[in-house]
Amino acid sequence: MSEAALHKDRFEAIEAFLLGTMGPKERQRFEQEMAADAALLEEVVLQRENTLAVEMAGISRTLMAVRDEHHEADNSSSDGNWTTYLKYAAMVAVLILGAAWWFARPAENERLFAEYYVEDPGLPVPMSAVNDPVFQDAMVAYKLGDYAEARTKWGNLLQAEPANDTLRFYIANAYLAEGDAKAAIPLYEAVADEPASAFHVKARWYIFLAYLHEGRLNELPDSTLTNDPVYGERVRVIRSKLHP
Amino acid sequence: MAKTSIPVERPAISHTHSPPNWVNGLLRNDAAVVRSLYATHYPAVRQYVLKNSGTANDAQDVFQEAVTVLWLQVKDGRFNANAEPDPGGFLFRVAKFKWLDVVRSAAHRNMRVLHDAGAHVPEEERDHELEDRILRLREVYAKLDDKCRQVLDQFYFERKDLASIAARMGVEEESIRTIKYRCMMKLRAFRQAISGEDRKEK
Repeated sequence: MSEAALHKDRFEAIEAFLLGTMGPKERQRFEQEMAADAALLEEVVLQRENTLAVEMAGISRTLMAVRDEHHEADNSSSDGNWTTYLKYAAMVAVLILGAAWWFARPAENERLFAEYYVEDPGLPVPMSAVNDPVFQDAMVAYKLGDYAEARTKWGNLLQAEPANDTLRFYIANAYLAEGDAKAAIPLYEAVADEPASAFHVKARWYIFLAYLHEGRLNELPDSTLTNDPVYGERVRVIRSKLHP
Repeated sequence: MAKTSIPVERPAISHTHSPPNWVNGLLRNDAAVVRSLYATHYPAVRQYVLKNSGTANDAQDVFQEAVTVLWLQVKDGRFNANAEPDPGGFLFRVAKFKWLDVVRSAAHRNMRVLHDAGAHVPEEERDHELEDRILRLREVYAKLDDKCRQVLDQFYFERKDLASIAARMGVEEESIRTIKYRCMMKLRAFRQAISGEDRKEK
């Protein structure tokens, strides 16, 4: 197997071959190429194994789901007294868990944050993009949930362009997605202070959520966001639930 | 690299018989076929394991492993469905071998195998290579993070197209395409690392 990176076009050609989505002529050409190129053949075998790894995990999940159905059937045919005992035990467990949940339930602000917070989906990352490769790389990391990696890469770019609102906004998003609202707030505030920024309104909404997350309810920004056509309704509902 | 014939996903064409429905179903990762295999062939395995000191849970474990082996054989084009159109015998044999492995293991040395006709499994009938490969496939998948799993599962297992995955995940199709490529490259890099370690050991 080659240690070199596998180009995306090559990867997709192998994928099309393995999934059977290649046209007959293209397939014939590919098979001829594979017969003459041991490195390509090796790459195809490897990619097939990796695809199988994903498929096998899916089959295991299916088997577990079917197993659960059979498990229920097994249990339903077991001894009646035991079933009755289990029913009572389950009722007691439910009562205990209910009481535990009541005492340990999340605070209203945490509950509202969880209900209304949706991670920003990020910007499109075209595979063919050649401009800003580091930015795009960080965006892919962000979309994959690798927030620390995304922050680090964007952070390096921000040092060169400290006033870049896009970088500030997405670094703040990465912080908030990690649960670090405190670190996200100043970055969002810098973007919210720029009315010309494309992220101006979004930044204000996320500031509102970041304060909610932190429990700083008396400091919740009382801004014109309440009248915003996109976020206004959500802001009003959250406020009414916090101060009925 | 000795292997030159690579099974690919295309409609099976046979001059003699078309493969049974369950074979096509496994090739498509069809849950209904898995459910049907379970309903038809699990009871015999359950009975065997229960009669040989096992529990229903043990029976489920070995049956799941047997279906996994069958699935992989079908995917590899190594299962001869013309010679064995009913997979029941194969599933029972594999499940039985698996259970005998468990019985022989340290934790179960005190068990008594009642129905031990054929309890001795000739070494040549065991496919250690296949067992190792299954372990390796699981190890590889375990390396993926949740986001990669989400995308790859939908594309390679559920066979959803990029547009559907993108709509479901609320991102653009092109982003899903890039994420898929990057995730598969992570698996490739992991494989490279494993091959490097294997070479060192040899």
